[in-house]
Amino acid sequence: MRTDIIIAGVGGQGVVTAGLLLSEAATIRGMHVVMSEIHGLAQRGGSVSVDVRIGDVYGSIIGRGDADLIIGFEPIETMRAIARAGNKTRVIMNSEKITPVSLSMHDKEYPSNSDLTGMADKSIEIREINAVSLAKRAGSYKSVNTVIIGAAIGLGILPFEKDDMLSALKNRFSGKLYDINREALEYGIDEILANRSVSFS
Amino acid sequence: MIEMSGLNDLLINQPGKKLFLLGNEAIARGAIEAGVRVATTYPGTPSSEVGNVLSELSKKAGLYFQFSVNEKVAIEVAYSSAISGLRSFVFMKHVGLNVAADPLMSIAYTGVRAGLVVMSADDPSMFSSQNEQDNRNYSEIAHIPLIEPSNSQEAKDFLRYAFEISEMEHIPVLFRTTTRVSHQRGMVELGEIEKREAVGFFKSDPANFVALPVNSMGLKEKLVQKMERLKTVSEGSKLNRIETYGSGKYGIITSGEAYNVMMDAVSKYGLDVSVLKLGFTNPLPEEMISRFLREHENVIVVEELDPFLETRVRMIAQMHSIGTKIFGKLDGYFTFSHEYSPDTVAGSLSRIMGFDTKQVSVEIDATALPPRPPVLCPGCPHRATYYAVKRAVKMSNIKNPVYSSDIGCYSLGVYDPYNEADVMIEMGSSIGVGGGFSNATDQKVISFIGDSTFFHSGIPGIINAVHNASNVILIVMDNRTTAMTGQQSNPGMNINGMGDPAPEVSIEAIVRAIGIKYVKTVDPYDLKSTLLAVSGALRENGVSVIVARRECAMIRDDRMRSKKEWKTFQVNPEKCKLCMNCVEKFSCPAIFIEGGKIEIDQNICDGCGVCAEPYVCPFKAIEEVQTA
Repeated sequence: MRTDIIIAGVGGQGVVTAGLLLSEAATIRGMHVVMSEIHGLAQRGGSVSVDVRIGDVYGSIIGRGDADLIIGFEPIETMRAIARAGNKTRVIMNSEKITPVSLSMHDKEYPSNSDLTGMADKSIEIREINAVSLAKRAGSYKSVNTVIIGAAIGLGILPFEKDDMLSALKNRFSGKLYDINREALEYGIDEILANRSVSFS
Repeated sequence: MIEMSGLNDLLINQPGKKLFLLGNEAIARGAIEAGVRVATTYPGTPSSEVGNVLSELSKKAGLYFQFSVNEKVAIEVAYSSAISGLRSFVFMKHVGLNVAADPLMSIAYTGVRAGLVVMSADDPSMFSSQNEQDNRNYSEIAHIPLIEPSNSQEAKDFLRYAFEISEMEHIPVLFRTTTRVSHQRGMVELGEIEKREAVGFFKSDPANFVALPVNSMGLKEKLVQKMERLKTVSEGSKLNRIETYGSGKYGIITSGEAYNVMMDAVSKYGLDVSVLKLGFTNPLPEEMISRFLREHENVIVVEELDPFLETRVRMIAQMHSIGTKIFGKLDGYFTFSHEYSPDTVAGSLSRIMGFDTKQVSVEIDATALPPRPPVLCPGCPHRATYYAVKRAVKMSNIKNPVYSSDIGCYSLGVYDPYNEADVMIEMGSSIGVGGGFSNATDQKVISFIGDSTFFHSGIPGIINAVHNASNVILIVMDNRTTAMTGQQSNPGMNINGMGDPAPEVSIEAIVRAIGIKYVKTVDPYDLKSTLLAVSGALRENGVSVIVARRECAMIRDDRMRSKKEWKTFQVNPEKCKLCMNCVEKFSCPAIFIEGGKIEIDQNICDGCGVCAEPYVCPFKAIEEVQTA
């Protein structure tokens, strides 16, 4: 048994924190977890991805096509991660766009959603959520990654329960911050369960 | 109970407790468990977090910690501690060991009294390095033991073991990780913390510690004997073990991260193999390997980078007249370059063992996606410096300037639109290489070096350039920290690795003492002054120095946030003439185009305000956001 999760985004978006929270929820369940982290040159602004592997695994690298779930914090980075997806991979994509400098300096704008999602073949389903607006509704832009984690839990393919994630959040936040994150988690779960997220396939 | 760790958890003495640790955090814990009293480093990814943790915990853990000026000095400081009877640990990235190689080769001869472990964090696939050299080879050149862990648990446990080996034969031990081991997070069961002497005493013994030829002759022979005796230890070591899956038809010999990716392939495809996993890899357990070879008709050596194990396994087969078929890199089944993945290893194994690898990946052309390489942060003072230098060079009508760069965040100046790195080789090279260009050509040479790199190994190059009458403009990009590796202290700062106040070493005083007359200090946020200082230097002969001093934006951001003094800028569309200078030439990641208009991302703008200066926006269209 194993669950392989790729989290992709832009440095500074909280990708590593999301990986730590997913890992912690799984360890609270007593499961074996291995996570990859890339440090160094990309302090901010570069592509960042983290692999979280739960269950019977050795190394921290998820094989091509093996991911069960891709959590994309940003559309372009989601598509970049989809290059590692397989036919069973589910995808959550946050709609927050961060324009790469490589486009701006050549006077180019961010590609349209359909241009981006149209790049992948039709076998893959992408669930898009506006995590920023939900995070703001929960009380803080900074709870964006908790909303996205909620959406992932809402898909029902993670090997732990909402309560495990609440315990993980409780270890990290207290008081009002915990309340905001609890709310953010619920909004994320609801968005998927109520089928309000947009699907591309 | 299992829980996430705060740093202080690394200090608790509760054997059996489990923590979810980064490989480097586990190594720091291993040093604490081993009773290390002196730890030194020069920060370098992928080794940096070991130092960050030990720096933070040094006082509570009762150990002396130092961010040394460079790796050579780091190893010298750790060495004197180890020969004074204190367990000492020195760690660095792989290329750092090149800098430290000179002392390493000789301290192998003199040996140590208390344990000395030298860690090299190698970087296959060069995530943050200029090369991917395989430092296991240093153990062979220096004749010292080599230990290779595969995961966080082993990283901690094997480090303790390395100290035992070091003290067994009074020899420095090389402890080699790779990026995927240092930056893998996994469960670690803690062990007992050893209590050891905190103050050393050095008993003089010149015949052993003065590496004059007359002494070294005998020391070399002793060293070879030490390694000969350690062969027996390696034979019986628990770090070298055999695991069998299925009937174990094929034999696999492996170590380090290669073991992990190989095992993931074995479990994915249900392969029938017996695995000799090696953790003590110099000297190798020769008997164990020859038995393993005899027990298998086919043996595959799986290791990243150089055929370090493979050449030795083939040698053992030859010496023992074993006819087992051996597969590896030398016969072309595995590559010499880059880290392995479960896919690349499965591909190689399938060609040898003859099974089908399933390829089920989604069709997408990721190369069509806009690239997002690492960029200088919003507010980074280096962006302002690069912008001003480029302007000054253009305004001074300099044709074909040569930009000689160095190692740090500012290496990113190589990218568009700055293009201010024509050559960049290794730490401290900008000025030596720059001086060379000045001899070889008539071109104007501009060298860039960071504050930490200046101290690390830049100074000899400056002395060389001055003494040999080179014409070089040296721009010291002093952001008041060792930024790229995570903001460690350096000799230019008023704090040291223990967190204690420390004397600041003045860059200006050093370059003046070398005899440089044109020395200007500027704030890079002040584009006009920076531009004038560079223009002035372009008219000079000899070596001139501009210190572009402004603290790293990440440090400033943290302080401003905590003081709630955050401000941001926005574009006034009434005034913006869409000249595109800000996006095309200044290129801050916070500035982008949407719906044909220039916008500033309020979530990442850090309020430096450089884009609002007339040198970037001549129409004064960029304005501070006024909060109500």
